[in-house]
Amino acid sequence: MPAHVGIQARVREPTNLDSRFRGNDGKEDVGLMSTDVFFEMEKLLLRNIGVPDSQTLATYQSRGGYASWRKVVEGMKPEQVIDEVKASGLRGRGGAGFPTGMKWSFVPKDSPKPKYLVCNADESEPGTFKDRLLIEQDPHAMIEGTLIAAFAIQSHTAFIYIRGEMVFGTQQLERAVEEAYQAGLIGKNIFGSGYDLEVIVHRGAGAYICGEETALLSSLEGGRGWPKVKPPFPATHGLFGCPTVVNNVETLAVLPWILERGAAAYFAMGTEKSKGTKLFSVSGHITRPGVYEVEMGYPFKKFLEEDCGGVSNGKKLKGVIPGGASMPVLKPEEIEKVNLDYESVAAAGSLLGSGGVIVMDETTCMVRAAWNIARFYAHESCGQCSPCREGCHWMEKIFHRIEYGEGQKSDLDLILNIAGNIMGNTICPFGDAAAMPAGAFIRKFRDEFEAHIAEKRCTVRG
Amino acid sequence: MDPVKIILDGKEVVTTKGTTVIKAAADAGVAIPHYCYHPKLSIAGNCRMCLIEIEKMPKLQIACNTQVAEGMSVLTQSPKVLAVRKAVMEFLLINHPVDCPICDQAGECQLQNYYMEHNREASRFEVGKIHDRKKTIFGPNVIFDGERCIKCTRCVRFCQEITKTDELAVVNRGDHSTIALFDGAVLDNPLSANVVDICPVGALTDRDFRFKVRVWYLEKTPSICPGCSTGCNISVEAYQNQIARFKPRVNEAVNSHWICDEGRYCFHDLAGGERLTAPMIRQEGGLVPTTWEQALQAVYTGLSSAKPLAAILCGRNTNEEAFLFAKLIKKLSLEAALEVFYQERELTETQKILMSPDRAPNFRGARDMGVSSNGGFDALMGKLVAGNFSSAYVVGEDLVGFDEKIRAALQKLSFLVVQDTHMTETAKLAHVLLPAVHFGEKEGTYTNRKGRVQKLNAAVIPPDGALQDSEIFMQLLAAADEAVRYTSPSEIFAAIAREVTAYQGLDYDSIGEQGVELRSGGGGAS
Repeated sequence: MPAHVGIQARVREPTNLDSRFRGNDGKEDVGLMSTDVFFEMEKLLLRNIGVPDSQTLATYQSRGGYASWRKVVEGMKPEQVIDEVKASGLRGRGGAGFPTGMKWSFVPKDSPKPKYLVCNADESEPGTFKDRLLIEQDPHAMIEGTLIAAFAIQSHTAFIYIRGEMVFGTQQLERAVEEAYQAGLIGKNIFGSGYDLEVIVHRGAGAYICGEETALLSSLEGGRGWPKVKPPFPATHGLFGCPTVVNNVETLAVLPWILERGAAAYFAMGTEKSKGTKLFSVSGHITRPGVYEVEMGYPFKKFLEEDCGGVSNGKKLKGVIPGGASMPVLKPEEIEKVNLDYESVAAAGSLLGSGGVIVMDETTCMVRAAWNIARFYAHESCGQCSPCREGCHWMEKIFHRIEYGEGQKSDLDLILNIAGNIMGNTICPFGDAAAMPAGAFIRKFRDEFEAHIAEKRCTVRG
Repeated sequence: MDPVKIILDGKEVVTTKGTTVIKAAADAGVAIPHYCYHPKLSIAGNCRMCLIEIEKMPKLQIACNTQVAEGMSVLTQSPKVLAVRKAVMEFLLINHPVDCPICDQAGECQLQNYYMEHNREASRFEVGKIHDRKKTIFGPNVIFDGERCIKCTRCVRFCQEITKTDELAVVNRGDHSTIALFDGAVLDNPLSANVVDICPVGALTDRDFRFKVRVWYLEKTPSICPGCSTGCNISVEAYQNQIARFKPRVNEAVNSHWICDEGRYCFHDLAGGERLTAPMIRQEGGLVPTTWEQALQAVYTGLSSAKPLAAILCGRNTNEEAFLFAKLIKKLSLEAALEVFYQERELTETQKILMSPDRAPNFRGARDMGVSSNGGFDALMGKLVAGNFSSAYVVGEDLVGFDEKIRAALQKLSFLVVQDTHMTETAKLAHVLLPAVHFGEKEGTYTNRKGRVQKLNAAVIPPDGALQDSEIFMQLLAAADEAVRYTSPSEIFAAIAREVTAYQGLDYDSIGEQGVELRSGGGGAS
C-alpha cells in the first residue's frame, strides 16, 4: 500500500462564470484546479481530481460513480449501511473526529418527525481548503456520499450548506445536483425503489461560526447563525427540532469508496484508531502548497520535508499549525516524532482538526501571527455568550497593542488568563478555538513576545 | 413526578425528574447566580454565570440547562465555580460603562449585586470600551442603553415567546452585538414594559419612571392592580407619599411574572392630580366646602327623601366597602337600584394574555357583596338616562366622562351625591360631594374575575380631609340608625365570611400575599 498521494492545487480563472456569482470584493470568484499528481497510487478522495471535466456526471459515472448509490438503494438496508460505515472506522473529518457510523446510529428510528441529513460545506477554518477542492472539482462524490448518508438515517431531505464565499463551488455543486436530478439519482422513487430523497443546496451568508454544526442549523432554519445550547443534541433535536445528522464534505465524499470496496479495505489503512486517508491543506512558507491525501499515521516531518518540498526558499521552520488556525501551533522539535493521525498529533499537544497545515518559517513574527489569528476570532465571534464575545476582542486588543509597541509586561499573563477563562466555558467550541492558539503562541514563543514588548518593535523582521 | 435525589454542595436534596439544577437549587434555597435564565422564558445559556461543577464531568456545566439525575453531585461553591463566576463578571463588565451614578437600575442591578458577591476586583481592562447607542427609544414606555446591555436576550425572548410580537432582535456580531428593533417595528405591545422588569441590568429602563426616584428610597407595598379584574399582583412603590411605579409581583395563579402596560401606568390617572380634601355642598353659585357632619346629614336627608334612588359603586371599591355600601343602600331604600360600574371592550389577542375586558377590578366581589339589582349596570344606566330616578349616589366613577349623554340625566335629578377623589365632570354636578380615597390609600380585598380573593394594602396616606369609603358608609349607616362599627377591614371581612355564602370560612389573614380561591360555584350574596 503506498503511503499517500499528493496533489497540488493551483488557482485558475474559471470559464463561463455566471455573473451572479461574485465574491465579497465584487471580483469574480476563482476556483481551485488540480494539476500535478505526484504519486501514481490508489486514491480515495482525490481519485477524480485532475481528470478532465471531473465535475461532470458523465466523467464521474464513467469512473464508476454512483455505483455505490445504486448498490445501497437496490440492495442494502439502512442498518447495513450504518454497520458498514461503523466497521470501516471512519471518523468525521470536520475537525472533531467523531465516529461517523456511531453518529448516525444516534438518530432515533421510531421518531414520527422527519429526519434530515445536512452536509456541512461551510469550510471556513483558516488554512483549510480541502472541501473546496472536492466541491469544485468532484462535486458528485460528495453528492453521492450525501445520498448514502441520507439513506442510512432514512432521511428524505438532505441539505448541503455551502459557504457563501464559495461562489464558483456553489455553481459547480448546483450544476452537479441538477445533473443528478435529471439522471434520476435524486428525487422521487430512486431506481424504482420507492425511496424519495430531495437535495437542497443552501448558501451561507458569510459567518465562520456557521461551520459549527448547531450554528449551521440555526442559519439553515432562517435564524441568526448562533450555536445552540446542548443538550439536546442534533441527532434528536436538530434542524427544525427534528433528528439531524451533520457531516463534513470530506466525510461524505469517501463513502462511495467505502461502500464500493468494503469496510475492511478502508479499515486496513491508517493506524489503530485513525483509519483510512485524510486530506491536508498545506499553506504558508512551503515549497509545494496544496491539498494532499495522506494515509493516516504518515510521519508529519517527512510529509512536510519530502512530499511538500520543505520550507520554501531554503528557510528554517519556526512553527507549524497542524489542524487549522484554531489548533495550537507546534515548534519544529515538537513534530519530530509526530504522525498525521488524531492520537499522535494530540499527544504532541495539538489537534489534527481540519487538517489545515499552516507552515511558518523563521522570518515569521509570531506576535503578528498570533494577533492575526486573534483578530480573526474577534471578528468572527458570534457574540452570543459572554466569555467568547468579550474575551476574544479583549485578547485581540492586547495582541494588537503588543504588535504595535504598546505592550506591557503583564500582558502575556493577562492573555493566558483570559484564554483560560474562555476555555471550556462557552456554548460552542469557538471559545476554545480562539483560546487555544492564543495560549500556544505565547507559551511557545514567549521570548519573542517579551522582546517585542521590551523593545516596542518587532525583533524578528527588524 | 418521579423523585430524584441529588447531592447539592454535600447535602441531599430531593427534587423531581426533569427539573433543572438551577431550579432544584433554588427550591432548596441555594441561589445560583444568573442573568439570561428566566423561569418563564426558553433556556438561552448565554451569560455563563450559572456554571457549576458536577462531579465526574470534566467541564463546568450551566445549571439552567442541566437536568438533575439520580445521585448527581452538584458543587455551587467549589474553587472552579467561584473562579468562573469571577471571570464571567469581569467579561460582562469590561465594555460596560459603569455609569451607576446616573443609572436608574442602580440599587436593583444584578451587575452591581453579583459584582459585590462574586468579583470585587479592579478592572484589568484598559484598552478602550466599545461604544454603543445610548438613550435609544424602543417604544412609548421603554428606552434602551446599548452600552449597559449584557446581551442576555431576555427581552428578545419575551417578545418572541410571551407576547409573540417579535419586535426585538440581536444584530451585529461579537462585541458589537446589540439589541435592536426590527425595521419599522416599535416596542408598543400591551406588555412591553415587562422587558424593563426582566432586564437584569440598566439597558432597558422605564421611560415613565426613569430619573424620578432612586430605587432605594422607594417604599414597597404588596397590592393588587386596580386596572382590570384580572387582579394582577403588584408592588406599589412610593416615594414621599406619591406612587412612583407599579412592579409585578409573581403569582403563578394570576399574572405569573407580568403586568400589562395599561395597568402599570394606571396610577397616574387614579392617584395623580389635585385631590378633593373637603366635603362640598351645593348652594347658590355652586359647590362650597362644608363639614363632614353637615355633608353626611345632607346626604342622609337627601337620599331618604328623593326616591327612587340609583346607587352606583366604583369597580375599584373593595369587598369590605361594597359590603357596607350594599347594607347602606338597602337600609336607605328597599326599592333602590344598585350596581357596580362595569363596561366591556374588545381586546386583541396580545391584550388577552393578561387583560380583562373591563376596568373594574372588583366587579365580581362587589356583586358578591350584594351590589347588584340583577338588572346589570347597562340596564341601570339606561333607566337613569330615561329619567326613572329622583336621586343617585355615585361612588368613584366619572359617569359623565364615560358617557356625555348621562350629564343631562344627572342634571335632572333632584339629589345627586358623588363620592370621589378628584373633581371630575360628574363631581361638578353633585349636590353633595364627598372626598374619598383611592385604591393606593386603602386596605381590603378584591375578588378577581376568576374568583380569587386577594389583598389590597395601603401604600400611601390619604390627604387630610378625605375619608375612607368604608368610614363614610358606616357614618351614613349610623345616621340611618344601623349601628355597625368595624374598626378594620379585617373585621368587616370577618362579617363577610359570616354573611356571604361564597366567602364562608375564609380568613382575612390567610389570604396572604398570594390570595385564596373562592369555593367553586361561589358568587351571589346570601
